Amino acid sequence: MLKVQIGQRRRQCCDGVSRRHALRLGTTSLLGGLALPQLLQLQAKAATKQAAKAKSCIFLFLEGGPPHQDMWDPKPAAPAEIRGPFSPIATNVPGTQVTNQLPLCAKMADKYTILRSHSHRDNGHTTGYHYVMTGRRANFADGDNPVPNNAFYPSVGSIVSRELGTKSEIPPYINLPHPMAGGGPGFYGAEHAPFVIEADPTQPDFEVKDLRPIAGLSQKRLSTRQKLLAGIEKLERNASRGRADVMSTYYEKAHRLITSPAAKKAFDIHAEPRAVRERYGSTQIGQCALLARRLVESGCRFVGVDAPGWDVHFNCFPSLQTDLIPYADRAFSALVTDLEERGLLDETLVVMMGEMGRTPRINAQAGRDHWSMAQTVIFAGGGTKPGQIIGATDKQAAAPATEPIGVNDLLFTIHTLMGIDPTRIYYGPLGRPVPITDGGKLIDALV
Amino acid sequence: MILRQPTTRRLANARSIGGNLCARFVLLSCLVGALSAVDTPVLAAIRVSPVKVSLDSPESSQQLLVFGPRDDGSERDMTDVVSYRVVDPRIAVVDQGGILRPLKEGRTEVVVSLRQEQMRVPVMVTGLTSPRPVSFQSEVIPILTKSRCNSGGCHGKAEGQNGFRLSIFGFDAAADHSALLKESRGRRISPAFPERSLLLRKGTSEMPHGGGRKFVKGSARYQRLVRWIAEGSRFDSQDAESSRIVSIEVEPKLQILFGGESQQLRVTAIDSSGRRHCVTLETEFESNAGSIAEVDERGLVQASHIPGEAAILVRHLGHVAVCRITLPRPGVKITRPPETNFIDKLVWDKLQRLGIEPSDLASDAEFMRRAFLDTTGTLPNADEVRAFLKDTAADKRSKLIDNLLARSEYADYWTMHWLDLLRADQLKVTPQGTVAMQRWLRKQFADNVPYDRFARQLLTQQGSTLAEGPGAFYKAITKPDELSRSFSQLLLGVRIECAQCHHHPSERWSQTDYVGLAGFFTGVKLKKLPDGSQAIVSQGGRDLPHPRSGEVVTARALGAAPAIFDGVTDRRQLLADWMVDRDNPFFARSIANRLWAHYLGRGVVEPIDDMRDTNPATNEPLLKALADHLHDVNFDLKAFTRTLLNSRVYQLSSRSNTSNRDDNQNFSHAAYKALPAEVLLDAISYSTGVPEKFNGWPQGYRAVQVWDNRMPSYFFRIFGRPVRASVCECERSNEPSIAQALHLLNSPEIMQKIQHRRGRARQLAGRKLPPTSIIDELYLGTLGRYPRAEEKTLMLEAFTGDDIDRRAATEDVLWALLNSREFVYNH
Repeated sequence: MLKVQIGQRRRQCCDGVSRRHALRLGTTSLLGGLALPQLLQLQAKAATKQAAKAKSCIFLFLEGGPPHQDMWDPKPAAPAEIRGPFSPIATNVPGTQVTNQLPLCAKMADKYTILRSHSHRDNGHTTGYHYVMTGRRANFADGDNPVPNNAFYPSVGSIVSRELGTKSEIPPYINLPHPMAGGGPGFYGAEHAPFVIEADPTQPDFEVKDLRPIAGLSQKRLSTRQKLLAGIEKLERNASRGRADVMSTYYEKAHRLITSPAAKKAFDIHAEPRAVRERYGSTQIGQCALLARRLVESGCRFVGVDAPGWDVHFNCFPSLQTDLIPYADRAFSALVTDLEERGLLDETLVVMMGEMGRTPRINAQAGRDHWSMAQTVIFAGGGTKPGQIIGATDKQAAAPATEPIGVNDLLFTIHTLMGIDPTRIYYGPLGRPVPITDGGKLIDALV
Repeated sequence: MILRQPTTRRLANARSIGGNLCARFVLLSCLVGALSAVDTPVLAAIRVSPVKVSLDSPESSQQLLVFGPRDDGSERDMTDVVSYRVVDPRIAVVDQGGILRPLKEGRTEVVVSLRQEQMRVPVMVTGLTSPRPVSFQSEVIPILTKSRCNSGGCHGKAEGQNGFRLSIFGFDAAADHSALLKESRGRRISPAFPERSLLLRKGTSEMPHGGGRKFVKGSARYQRLVRWIAEGSRFDSQDAESSRIVSIEVEPKLQILFGGESQQLRVTAIDSSGRRHCVTLETEFESNAGSIAEVDERGLVQASHIPGEAAILVRHLGHVAVCRITLPRPGVKITRPPETNFIDKLVWDKLQRLGIEPSDLASDAEFMRRAFLDTTGTLPNADEVRAFLKDTAADKRSKLIDNLLARSEYADYWTMHWLDLLRADQLKVTPQGTVAMQRWLRKQFADNVPYDRFARQLLTQQGSTLAEGPGAFYKAITKPDELSRSFSQLLLGVRIECAQCHHHPSERWSQTDYVGLAGFFTGVKLKKLPDGSQAIVSQGGRDLPHPRSGEVVTARALGAAPAIFDGVTDRRQLLADWMVDRDNPFFARSIANRLWAHYLGRGVVEPIDDMRDTNPATNEPLLKALADHLHDVNFDLKAFTRTLLNSRVYQLSSRSNTSNRDDNQNFSHAAYKALPAEVLLDAISYSTGVPEKFNGWPQGYRAVQVWDNRMPSYFFRIFGRPVRASVCECERSNEPSIAQALHLLNSPEIMQKIQHRRGRARQLAGRKLPPTSIIDELYLGTLGRYPRAEEKTLMLEAFTGDDIDRRAATEDVLWALLNSREFVYNH
């Protein structure tokens, strides 16, 4: 077995070596020399108050801003320029209606909850993304910023990674099929950055970057290589002793990822029966949702799926009708049903939302524009109460008519469901306290 | 009671057993036994401080400190080893931790005893029947701070918590007073029924409180709040001026602790009338090195078993004091290695005090690879290594240092470094702006322009942002206060951004300092030129108002008198004069520390750009000497670097010994440094013999030379190339990740380099060389050294067997070397 360890932080980001920083780093073994009482203290602090209902979370992010009124919050009584061309249909929950674009989800509305009163005040894409993922308003202008754009605040996925850690050789936090713009680790550092699978699982040649065995290397050469590398490190370790002991385990993790049959299996979407793949739809969101299920089955804590294309400013209804809503409808309904059939729904929280909703009034280009004042968020599994509608918007689907649910309420609830204390504080590079969520409260009706 | 049982407290078990004297006796004997034989009365004298106690208000308290002698004549803490008894228990009460509290006016004595030995301390209690009214400002704020009500995670954050907002750490007492009294329809304070005040019912968790219980009903904190409300919730006492706290003292200030020992601290506040009172229980404590010494909320310092130094920061009402704890290795006498220059002397001094043995000198090969990577960001080539190892000249290391500093790669490497710091993000400052800055930087480092001149030009740049020069910085940052705080962090190593919003009580810089510094940049404008580009113009300018009071603050440098701009057109000139002055307390220290951190892997102050009283240097004499040296060489950075690299400290091995294994702040051995993304990519390209192709760039450019920070690159992304969004060195991530390891181990990109038909592996395999020579060449070209015998044996395994493919074997050895820790790190 190859056991190679590299990786020792040269500087711990901006932080010094203060006690609270050592604690907040959560990577104490890297620093070396932590006293036992501290480790115990750390463990004690890490123990969470509530027993977690959800062990994993699949976060389907409809990037661009899904039109809530054309999907989950139909307004049949509103004038045509508001209600749009889609009509409501009944679901299997008496009294609950969605639009006729969601026929599959309509048949299983008892399995999820529709939260219609989400509202916030950031109407930009990257800034809104940042806000939804971190609970903090962006300090940059919308648009020209790098990915990941949350330079300071950690995203919900990074928080989950830090709080819950790994369960297997699968990384605890994964993004598909590209990095989520607001999904970075902020000051938590690269250790809690998402493992990004930058490949499209719909493609026949889908594979995880750098994971496939190099072509043309015989088994014999592979084992020679491992023997050589393990040998070098062994000789080196003997020579340098102490330092080597505190080196991080990333190489080992990577190697486990490459060689572990479990990891290989988790990423191997081709192993799914054709019927299952078709059930999710041969679409990016569908296959990502399926891969996400495989990943949480294998121990991943938080899978963020970025499903782009929802920024429908122009002539939106044809595309909503053909390749946006039906794909999401199929992917979401298949995912929830599949999880339930496998007995995983109770311990897997599924959330589907975007950075905002869309304008009540259809614009002159037959599209809808950004509208963060109202959005519908869908929750399933993970200890949430299914089959409900929470909140409502006004007649035009323009603003919550009930108490608005903010971004931090959503995050507070997600963390709580996963057994994470949302009020826990870590200290940023300047020593400022950064609680996991910026306020917020539990959405009581949901849990 | 607020006297929570501190968990780390020594003898905590014995005390929780309460009256179990037997248990306590056993422990006590063990302890005494540890010092000397149990039967001999060696503890000739315990010392109790203070010699008399005066308690003058109902909630006052006094921490007693008890010291006993060590064998070596120094003193150790006996505060919670001795036993205490108040002669008249109606007058006062004392706990096992040495805290004395009043019960009734009068006089008595407290008897401090250890075995047969006794000391008596007179106690006088006054001010209970008609106490001095509680002052919100000086007596309630510390309660809100100590209970963390006004912390940044709670009511202290900008928007408050659940509608109740306090100033962070109580820096704005007047606003807090009015928040408590006037907001929320006065429910927070109930003058008629003090105990029904929301403040108390929430604080004690009698009513549901998101923050939980902050103080216990009946505790001293609680009693003081009740009394404050009952007395009419005054902002200040009548004798406000004379009772204003002017300073605090911590005792002891310096203490040597041996592994596992503890030390109780005492904090005394001194008011403007000279009156002293103990505020230990109302003070916040924090250790800057918890792995060496921890401190609990009562001020009990607990030493670990790791030798080193920790600073215990003590904060009370905006005042800061520091207690330095040293943990020497017990009974170690180190052999001081020879000294090349002052650096070695000062580092050995420190190590001697701590009892830490420095590592051996690094081998020639280790030194060479390290010096190459540190100064030029490149690896030595095989011929250079061979020649250097063969060279027998005594001064060959010095010569190599001179040679490296003269190379163009030195300028390239520092140019890249400063492009990051100066935020040359091409998307923000345009590609032309980035190139203009790159060319300027390259010239500065190639010509070795003195750093004070460099800084002055940076500070006072005028003209087109596209002309060769640092002008793009003013395009990346446009607001006066952002400019001033960026320059402060960059050139002074002082972070003042906290002071934008509040005066952090533990820091020196206030909002006045913040706007005062920004006042130097208020004349800076970006003027549009006819061709659409921009030019920096700096003339005139105005003083800025204080964000709270609105009063205009005259521009001033940090800690300096208000500036006088008579006849000065560009205000920034005055700031530059102040900065580069020999007496400037920050400028030389900051760059000295920055360079030190680059070469040694850790700053003397860390983080390197966060110098403040509360973040002391690990070796203050060293940092001072480095700063002085920089002045002595007139800010010649190459000369300074030469001194640094010639020191034995720089040339120590990264191999630790048993004595310094746990030391990571005293430079007892060389650090393992992660290679920056660009340097690592260049090293891989060099070692495989296959240059990287950068899209759109001519062949032959090294990654270090690529100014385009937006060039898409998976390698740069996962290895943490900065996006140039801040002036902080910390933006460059050195943290490892799974993706990095996967990429190096198993990516097609690296594989292609290893297998390339014009690559090193194939070339070597194709030459008529025996396998041992191939292995030699691969080691020289990656790790910069010859393989040791056992390594050669190991690698030869790739070449043994029936159907050996030389090319495959060579590739496999190269692959293994590229993935070794020794390759991926600079050590």
